[in-house]
Amino acid sequence: MAEHPQKPANLIKWFDPRNKSLGSWAFILNRITGLGLTLYLFLHLIMLGQLARGPEAYDGFIALVKNPIFLVGELLVIAAAFIHGLNGIRIGITSFGIAGGKQKQLFIGLMTVAVIAIVYFAIRMFTH
Amino acid sequence: MRDGFDVTPRSGEGAGLWFLKILTGFLVIIVLIIHLIVNHLIVEGGLLTYADVVRYYQNPIIPIMEIAFLIFVVTHALMGLRSVLLDLHPSNKVLKLINYGLVVLGVGSIAYGTWLILVIVGRG
Amino acid sequence: MTQTWHVTYEIFRKKGDQSTHYDRFEMKVDPDEYVLDGIERIWAFHDRSLVFSHACHHSTCGACGMVVNGVEKLTCITPIRSVTKDGGVIRVQPMRNFPVISDLSVDMTVFYQRMESVGHQPVVSVGFEDSKGKLDSEDDLLRLSDCIECGLCISACPIALTTPAYLGPAVLAGAQQSGDLNPCVLELVDSENGAWRCHSAYECTEVCPSHVDPAWRIMDLRKKLVARRIKKFFGVK
Ligand code: HEM
Ligand code: HEM
Ligand code: SF4
Ligand code: FES
Repeated sequence: MAEHPQKPANLIKWFDPRNKSLGSWAFILNRITGLGLTLYLFLHLIMLGQLARGPEAYDGFIALVKNPIFLVGELLVIAAAFIHGLNGIRIGITSFGIAGGKQKQLFIGLMTVAVIAIVYFAIRMFTH
Repeated sequence: MRDGFDVTPRSGEGAGLWFLKILTGFLVIIVLIIHLIVNHLIVEGGLLTYADVVRYYQNPIIPIMEIAFLIFVVTHALMGLRSVLLDLHPSNKVLKLINYGLVVLGVGSIAYGTWLILVIVGRG
Repeated sequence: MTQTWHVTYEIFRKKGDQSTHYDRFEMKVDPDEYVLDGIERIWAFHDRSLVFSHACHHSTCGACGMVVNGVEKLTCITPIRSVTKDGGVIRVQPMRNFPVISDLSVDMTVFYQRMESVGHQPVVSVGFEDSKGKLDSEDDLLRLSDCIECGLCISACPIALTTPAYLGPAVLAGAQQSGDLNPCVLELVDSENGAWRCHSAYECTEVCPSHVDPAWRIMDLRKKLVARRIKKFFGVK
């Protein structure tokens, strides 16, 4: 009998959006942002450890991250948080049988909110 | 897997974990938005300095909120990570290791984060 | 007026343990013919060793599902016009996430067994609940159920891609539709590889040729499973 084709090597295929519909884009985005935020969370906790080492250590670090390169990185984290969080709301409510037939409209609506929020944050962060 | 029916009982995805994932997700988004606003929009200069953080933590609600946030976000992130790992279909043995690893990591980070918050509160 | 288009079929080939490759066939077709018609002509006039499956030719048997230019299609009702242009290419592959028997034919045994074991009804009453709401009918007219067990949804699903143990959209939809969540069915669907495995990519609904809307049914099944657990928790029967 023929083998089932599934293998762990299919990992990259999760992230292949060719010929896929909107729902898969949502799935891919959710996965990438989720993993990215998880990575950030642990880096964040480690770097906040500087707080325990006193004002000089922490403020030195803050001076470093005010650099535009870090600001862009922070904006990415903020973008990921909005995209993932708002998409999470879509998954949450559709999973309770609410708006199941309208998931595309819901996704577009929530992502519009995300884009507005991200742009707002970007303007505020870079005009300081 | 026998005949396409894989019902070996193991703690894979299930109603409870899934519900917890959605619930923590909803709780996180509320606090996370507050967190982002506090850290980026309210402060002059865009980022909190050491003195700002210490001052911020003097209001007793804030450390409580922060600890709750820490618990929700770590739980959610590690459960999410676990879903992704489950999609690589680990064997029962590997899954057990993953479970232990994630619990240790989760408890460890929550303990460390809480300790950090309490230290900063104590500096006020 | 009939038109003539020149198209190239690129057909996935696999025999036994041989390595896979694509065979190209230049074909003259009428764009309003169906993708399956071209494949049949290739078999009839060019290569009698080509293996593919079909039966009814009118979207009822569910045998002719394939991946056409990267998208799951029921080839007997997919006009050539809708997948390519004059001078274009039609790349035909077997469905994903099933073992390939030979060329374009896949082994769906496990899938059929699962459909049966969740109590999917091939025939349902005319008044039936779907994503557009509940129609109630007084009389007991029967019709064929929407799901033709073509397997396209399983081929398109990113989670079925990661593990053969996932029951898959059609099976979960079948359990939702049968409405009979007895302990045997529950053990299958309220589990790691059942309704909780879905990650809401909605590809199944996208490719389903038959208005089953499997993703909506999975979500509805979740709602039913949660309601059941809550009732059980409070001791309500
Ligand atoms: C902002 C509020 C958030 C909400 C509403 C939310 C919601 C969700 C939901 C509903 C899922 C389930 C997706 C699925 O299984 O189909 C999910 C997955 C996930 N979340 Fe979140 N989340 C939030 C924040 C976060 C944060 C801050 C992190 C990381 C620190 C995170 C990490 C993850 C990961 C790694 C996954 C797994 C991705 C996957 O299964 O593909 N989430 N989130
Ligand atoms: C890029 C924007 C962010 C900045 C500038 C930032 C900054 C800070 C700062 C200054 C603190 C310490 C005091 C406070 O609460 O203000 C903090 C704590 C915290 N942040 Fe963030 N944060 C950001 C994004 C995030 C995200 C996306 C997450 C979730 C994944 C997160 C999770 C946490 C947690 C859990 C704590 C409490 C840590 C502890 O135990 O002390 N932060 N953050
Ligand atoms: S749910 Fe739709 S796509 Fe899936 S097997 Fe049934 S008819 Fe085919
Ligand atoms: S041949 Fe029967 S559905 Fe296409």
